[in-house]
Amino acid sequence: MLELTDLSVHYGTVAAVDSVSVTVAEGEIVAIIGPNGAGKTSTLRALSGLVRPSGGRVMFRGTDISRWRPHRIVALGLSHAPEGRRLFPQMTVLENLRMGAYRRRDRDAVARTLGEVLERFPRLAERRHQPAGTLSGGEQQMLTIGRALMSGPAMLILDEPSFGLAPLLVREIRAIVQSINRERGVAVLLVEQNARMALAVAGRAYVMETGRIVLSGSAAMLRESPHVKAAYLGG
Amino acid sequence: MSIDLLVQALLNGFGLAMVYVLVALGLTLIFSILEIINFAHGEFYMLGGYVTYYVFAVFGVNYFATLGFAILAVGLAGVVAERLIFRYLRGKTLNAFIVSLGLLWVMQASAQLSFGVLDKPVPSAFSGIVRAFGLVISVERLVVSLSAIVLIAALYLFLRWSRPGRAMRAVAQDADAAALQGVDIELVSALGFGIGCALAGGAGGLLAPVFAVSPAMGALPVVKAFIIIIIGGMGSLPGAVVGGLLLGSVEGLGSLFMGSAAVNVLGFLVVILVLLVRPRGLFGGA
Ligand SMILES: Nc1ncnc2c1ncn2[C@@H]1O[C@H](COP(=O)(O)OP(=O)(O)OP(=O)(O)O)[C@@H](O)[C@H]1O
Ligand SMILES: [Mg+2]
Repeated sequence: MLELTDLSVHYGTVAAVDSVSVTVAEGEIVAIIGPNGAGKTSTLRALSGLVRPSGGRVMFRGTDISRWRPHRIVALGLSHAPEGRRLFPQMTVLENLRMGAYRRRDRDAVARTLGEVLERFPRLAERRHQPAGTLSGGEQQMLTIGRALMSGPAMLILDEPSFGLAPLLVREIRAIVQSINRERGVAVLLVEQNARMALAVAGRAYVMETGRIVLSGSAAMLRESPHVKAAYLGG
Repeated sequence: MSIDLLVQALLNGFGLAMVYVLVALGLTLIFSILEIINFAHGEFYMLGGYVTYYVFAVFGVNYFATLGFAILAVGLAGVVAERLIFRYLRGKTLNAFIVSLGLLWVMQASAQLSFGVLDKPVPSAFSGIVRAFGLVISVERLVVSLSAIVLIAALYLFLRWSRPGRAMRAVAQDADAAALQGVDIELVSALGFGIGCALAGGAGGLLAPVFAVSPAMGALPVVKAFIIIIIGGMGSLPGAVVGGLLLGSVEGLGSLFMGSAAVNVLGFLVVILVLLVRPRGLFGGA
């Protein structure tokens, strides 16, 4: 469903992403793990149109979207919950969720999705009239995911959803990602520094270091890899 | 001093301040969407003045129709300026400073060449005065202030309830996040810049009969607009309205005690006082 081929991203002359190839099939959960500055976020920003790739190709649902601007990519069914939450702080929880459905014209369908999202995140429902800027970190992360679901996506991109959250909340996020994938059949591309969490939810994973994919395979296989064990799972 | 006199002074101050709020709202709207300050904003106000001069004073078209036309024409000029120039300057504060100063110079020089350097008088569209509750106000001032208030309210309703208005608020809060929700940033930038300029054009049309029209007419309202914005907080629309009310009342009351040159200095005093207490202005965010 998603196919990155030899994707590169340059900032000035520095390559942040260097010929990266990643695929995600229908209904799959795929993770990209790697250390700070590896180029994970840059990869995601390139595939959702926020930065122009300097080379390579992005195919989504059979369409070449390599040079598309972000608003058209969302409309095609690819929804990106960015690193650092990036909510609209002065808008309420509800307004943030409605922004997620910005391109959808069918009011009834949007109302249905809104109902589902509020059901999935009861804590957001309780705080629906609260400005997003005043939510706790965990609630903000829930809202980021909820907002990304409002477009009714076929595929969800999550950039470090567990960042800065307590272990209990990380587990909750993990369960939510799994249930979205199972119940809705939404494919997920998950970027995480928390390799333990990522390899627990994903079926397959890629390890990215200094702009390149250095290792890839099934999550089960990567959990046993000496390199992954030493560098990401703490021995 | 009687209460009537004070209220009268406040009323006089508010009248023009509401028009300066229009100019300020345009500037701050553009700032919040493109993260740049357009120093040529006063020249779009000037364009509104000349449109009013030619359409209303020369061709004798109805005043309100002229005003509507000035708003549309200057808004369109703003869209063109955004597509040709400002779209490339998003977030580049310093480049935008230099480029918009250049545009200011080009627009003023073009106005001098096309329209001449002399003031062009625009006759009053309305004569007579209204008396109520012991207060006196000229019909012209009343129309000018009420028109400005109607435009401010229209902007508020647009931003609060319309779909493109919602997109503008989202872009102002986080442009990348807005793009990821499906907002076309280029479209919002062009529209926002156009609306900002349209408000300046409307202000120019409203004040054309009050002052005369000239190539350099944009300087005064822009200085007032900057005072208002700095008081209210850069990028804050409610801040611009409150800043305008504050400036209007200070200038109105000040005019009871001093001449107009001294009154113009009062605004800067208010700016200094506000910034001492709140360095980002009354409604400025973190
Ligand atoms: N806008 C930018 N301009 C210049 N360099 C950038 C920009 N964004 C990222 N970089 C650089 O590109 C490299 C990759 O950054 P990126 O954010 O993609 O890494 P990451 O894997 O997401 O890291 P983290 O886990 O810390 O989020 C880094 O060296 C970073 O400094
Ligand atoms: Mg990152």
